[in-house]
Amino acid sequence: MPAKMNNLGNFIQSLSRWLKQQGMASEQIPRVQLAVEEALVNIIRYAYEGQAGDIELRCGIADDQRFVIEILDSGVPFDVCTLPKPDIQCSIKERKIGGLGVFFIQRMVDELLYRREGDKNVLTMFISRNDGRFSRSSSNQDMHAGA
Amino acid sequence: MEIDVKKEGQAVIIALTGRMDAVSAPQFDKTVDDFIEQGETRILIDFKTLEYISSAGLQSILALAKRLELINGTVLLSDLNGAVKEVFEISGFSSIFPIYDNLDAATASI
Repeated sequence: MPAKMNNLGNFIQSLSRWLKQQGMASEQIPRVQLAVEEALVNIIRYAYEGQAGDIELRCGIADDQRFVIEILDSGVPFDVCTLPKPDIQCSIKERKIGGLGVFFIQRMVDELLYRREGDKNVLTMFISRNDGRFSRSSSNQDMHAGA
Repeated sequence: MEIDVKKEGQAVIIALTGRMDAVSAPQFDKTVDDFIEQGETRILIDFKTLEYISSAGLQSILALAKRLELINGTVLLSDLNGAVKEVFEISGFSSIFPIYDNLDAATASI
């Protein structure tokens, strides 16, 4: 689908329908929606630098425990795994607007991988079927970020 | 997302329903901009029927809080639950905003 903000709803609805059909726990679905929305919005806003371009969303079953979602675009190379975490402790005045989207992607998925494949960015998210916790440690995330 | 607004005493109460995402957040920005231009400085946001929020929604709330801080106004939040509450918690927003369990408690504190 074209990388346009008015397609965001279509992407999220298709994804949610698929996750539901696959039996994902209902409280887990908004977390996946969040990770995917943030990734899509980054692509829509920045990847094509004002030019037209497409986004491809692929969903599949990785193994007994996990789903895999891949998001592909042909925009400028961008590795979300390497971005620093925002400071989430500071006050309203000090708190920066922005930077949270990538943080949510990193927090909502079990494993996040980025690769450049030809002229495409490929972001791969592994998500467990029923895990409803936000308990993944920061060291785990760092390990994936370096992968 | 649906936005319902009412004025109660000194405060404007904004009730959000549905999904606050990158598509719908600008609609919220427009609503609060209009109120601030009209001179309102106390804004209470009722999240009771909001099911989902992404970083775009949080950015709108933060931008509102920053604007109100400059004019000695305040923003209060009430009745966060489910996915919305979780997003506030993991982003650290729960600790920088005044959050009330329900609308009555928030209204009483204004």
